[in-house]
Amino acid sequence: MAEQPQPRQETMSAGERMGAILMRQRPDRVPFMPFIFGYCARNVGYRIARVYDDGEKSFWAQMWTAEMFGYDGGAMYGYASMGGWEFGGDIKMPLSEWEQAPIVAKFPAQTPERVDALEIPDVETAGCYPIAIEFARIQQQFGMPIMVMGFGALTPAGNIAEVHVFRRWMMKKREVAHKLLRKVTDFANKVTDYFGHNFPKYPSLPFTGEATWANQIISPKQFEEFVLPYMKEIHDHILERGTKHIFCHICGEQNLNLKCWAQMEYGDPGILSFGHDVDLSTAIEYSGDKHAIAGNVEPQVIQNATNQQVYELCKACIDKAKMAPNGYLLLAGCEVPVQAPPYNIYVMKKAVMEHGFYD
Amino acid sequence: MATEARKKWILKALYDGVVDFDEDKVVEYSKLVLDEDVDAYEAIMDGLAAGMEHVGEMYANQEYFVPEVLMCSDALYAGLDILRPHVSGKEARVKGQVVIGTVEGDVHDIGKNLVKMMFDVAGFTVHDLGRDVKLERFVEEQLKTDSDIVALSALMTTSMLAMPKVIEMIKARNPDVMIMVGGAPISQEVADNYGADGYAKNAANAVQEAIQIVSRLREMGKA
Repeated sequence: MAEQPQPRQETMSAGERMGAILMRQRPDRVPFMPFIFGYCARNVGYRIARVYDDGEKSFWAQMWTAEMFGYDGGAMYGYASMGGWEFGGDIKMPLSEWEQAPIVAKFPAQTPERVDALEIPDVETAGCYPIAIEFARIQQQFGMPIMVMGFGALTPAGNIAEVHVFRRWMMKKREVAHKLLRKVTDFANKVTDYFGHNFPKYPSLPFTGEATWANQIISPKQFEEFVLPYMKEIHDHILERGTKHIFCHICGEQNLNLKCWAQMEYGDPGILSFGHDVDLSTAIEYSGDKHAIAGNVEPQVIQNATNQQVYELCKACIDKAKMAPNGYLLLAGCEVPVQAPPYNIYVMKKAVMEHGFYD
Repeated sequence: MATEARKKWILKALYDGVVDFDEDKVVEYSKLVLDEDVDAYEAIMDGLAAGMEHVGEMYANQEYFVPEVLMCSDALYAGLDILRPHVSGKEARVKGQVVIGTVEGDVHDIGKNLVKMMFDVAGFTVHDLGRDVKLERFVEEQLKTDSDIVALSALMTTSMLAMPKVIEMIKARNPDVMIMVGGAPISQEVADNYGADGYAKNAANAVQEAIQIVSRLREMGKA
């Protein structure tokens, strides 16, 4: 990396930089948010579970890690396995050497009868939400935008019934699938109402994102039937409550769904984060005229490749997306693996400092 | 005894039943196989397995997705349950034995189950350890069953790191066993770095890779 250009002087704070993106203005450089959760806990000496089961420790682990690497994003609360715990099942926090995130330990509704019996939970006591609320209160205390994961639709439904059960309902018991999605969506809207009512003073940047709506799992036709109407309703409800921007992580292989994604609202502007399966040029083509684009450094590369390879991949992302009409943020394509070498995260920032400035 | 034309018609119905995920049709025609004295092994291989092979192609071409493949697999197993007890010992001779599982720390098993199904229809004896499998269990099961292959699956970037460790553990106890790896974050390069003998990009590829591995083992006189 000896021939790389020298880092430039920043002229904006992290908050100003993110603010510029949300006002459709050019920041001094491409913002850098790694998309990082469990790593932060490990980084500051906590067990990985603390970033999910302790709001205060989660907040500080993320803030201290942001300070250490000098990235622009602050702290967020959420994880991919939401749904099961909130609707009465059990969750298992990551404890072993090989675990990264919580997993559903008991699925609350694996039969149509159990779906019928499901009641919409109380947000204050449902699953992870007491922790999320604690987390949001700390963010409020520090005057930060509240970044708590919005409850989605398809993935929570899969976490309530178990993915393979729900996929079979999508094929042969569609009415059951839709009934569960309706209940999940009602709860998602209730979560939005709760945060809107209890945290009215501060601008929020809720994030939505799921893994199981990717084309590795479902078809674009199934996406249109089982994802689009529900996520559209959830996003519309968030925006109707006065939230101006949604951060949406469009996880996994989504190339066949991009037309559907472009039909949804994300605020003015939203931030759309893509995984490595969607080329950033394609993402810009579909959504860059309205929203900021983020992504898509492959997590496996951050974990396993050399720092030179990570640097080159980040540079390639920046070169490709830096001039997106409504801005670009360098992010991992999905969560940064907890065992990624710290130097590989450092070189992500280095690539931004050497190639991300706007002239 | 069915005529050749009648047999072809029954096998085609089994093939279509799997492809169209019509479980009732597969059950009906599997019973017809037995009633009309059609060879059960032929019905499995040229009807059910051939249908599933086509499903694999449709999945690779993004004509079918996981929900459709799950339904096809339900139809396939409905037929296998009826026909397998009627396969003669000689024909039932397996291509090889496989221990399969998703590694510790990972509960994602859709991909692993698809690979398992393809091994099943291809004639392998499959020892499925499930998901979130402790690493020692792979070693124990391989030794217990004397399997030719251990197939490891991972979806998470963290759990994939368990793969080189379990490969080392298995090879330490039995250097001749062949290890295959697969899953979303795995590539040929990663498989090579981990010391795996085979890499499965998808379910169909896993079976082809396994067949080649078993052939290699047999040539070496180890299977």
